[in-house]
Amino acid sequence: MRIHLDRPRCEGHGLCEEAAPTLMHLDDDGELLIDAPDVDGADLDAAQAAVRVCPVAALRLEAA
Amino acid sequence: MTTGKAAPMRRIVVVGNGIAGLTACDSLRAAGFDGELTVVGAEQHQPYSRPALSKALLHGGEDSVTAHQRPAPGHQAIELLGVGVTGMDVDARLLTLDDGGQLPYDGLVIASGARAKRLAGDPGGDNARVFTLRTIEDAITLKERITGRPSVIVVGGGPLGMEIASGCLDAGCQVTMVASGPPLARHLGGHLSGIFVAAALRRGLRLVTSGTARLMGTNEHSPHDAGARVALADGTELGADIVVAAIGDEPNVGWLTGSGLLEGGALRVDSRGRLRPDIVAAGDVAYFPTRLGLRRVPLWTSAIDQAKVAAVGLLRGDAAPEGDLQPYFWTEGFGLSLKAVGFTPVEGAPDYCDPGGDPESLLMSWYGSGGPAGAGNPGTAAAINYRIPIPKLRALANKGPGVLRPGEAALPR
Repeated sequence: MRIHLDRPRCEGHGLCEEAAPTLMHLDDDGELLIDAPDVDGADLDAAQAAVRVCPVAALRLEAA
Repeated sequence: MTTGKAAPMRRIVVVGNGIAGLTACDSLRAAGFDGELTVVGAEQHQPYSRPALSKALLHGGEDSVTAHQRPAPGHQAIELLGVGVTGMDVDARLLTLDDGGQLPYDGLVIASGARAKRLAGDPGGDNARVFTLRTIEDAITLKERITGRPSVIVVGGGPLGMEIASGCLDAGCQVTMVASGPPLARHLGGHLSGIFVAAALRRGLRLVTSGTARLMGTNEHSPHDAGARVALADGTELGADIVVAAIGDEPNVGWLTGSGLLEGGALRVDSRGRLRPDIVAAGDVAYFPTRLGLRRVPLWTSAIDQAKVAAVGLLRGDAAPEGDLQPYFWTEGFGLSLKAVGFTPVEGAPDYCDPGGDPESLLMSWYGSGGPAGAGNPGTAAAINYRIPIPKLRALANKGPGVLRPGEAALPR
């Protein structure tokens, strides 16, 4: 699966980073960077958790 | 799976399909629960983002109407959506449903949320001139209604009332807010309130800070006249095409009457979310222990944090980690976007303040009497129109401004 970011929607709440710190982070300007877009296994659980906590639906998982 | 208890839990029921219920289901699975999981929810829908309703959805254009949507759950629970729970028998471990059915459980998660309070004088039921905003149906109805640019009275000066007022102004409505004191002051403190109120007045909000309002009745057949009236505490009457009440929420605990779980009408859980070994609660419905005492913290992130704690508390009992809630809150309106970490309201001017690149951008923090990382109550940090990674905002609240510029000493106090 691949993590897709809808950047215009992202408001930089960073809840996704707290759910999946190894997969994504906010840079110093508060812009979200997806460090590991392709996920499987345990990473997939973390990615799903990150997608779920986003309150503005800026993240989604798609078939790679 | 293991529960660490004599009688392993094979059937867990989650009451409530908002973000707390969803997170509880996911967390139970993540913690290894592979038994029968059932979620019962009064709302017809899969969980959606409630914060987005009064923010992106109310303010935005075409694209924003999907901002509240969530991906489909992956917890493989049996979902009974659009079904209410009407009662329970704690000893028999049995729930009664409004469709006449019964549902047995070994473990129960109470995440039944809260509902919008109604104005005094509001008889309830559907009324084309009186609105609240709690559910997706409420939001879509209100959004459609304000496209006709009616005059609006918003009762309630909390974050929700302010977001609604901002959305109505954006839609071209004339908006009067009735609040008991300066809007947001009770929630955020005078300093942040002042910033938002100034922006709101600049954008044309009319503000009446005369306390409570009572609905005086509505005229359904009047298309143009002020068809809805409210009476203020001093007897003054105000009229508008529509009235939106944003006067707070009340927990959905009516179905727990007689269960013995309520203390003074409230669900008070322990630091692992437990009411009893076999029953936990989380989200808007629950009073949770915090560093500032037992509190209901009806926020998106609190619901998520509490549900994670409660799920593990249900499975592992005393071996589960305790929750230590640090609220994260955001609000948008009148051209301002606020993000705050820590407990509010905050008193007085900030201890630290950094203007950002834009005229309206600010990064602030407060440390009360404890100082940064002081014992007991940590600080509060807030960013207005200021892009900052939230982990950094959290560090500013917890450790002081020294974390912003490594090498520089922490705030002397």
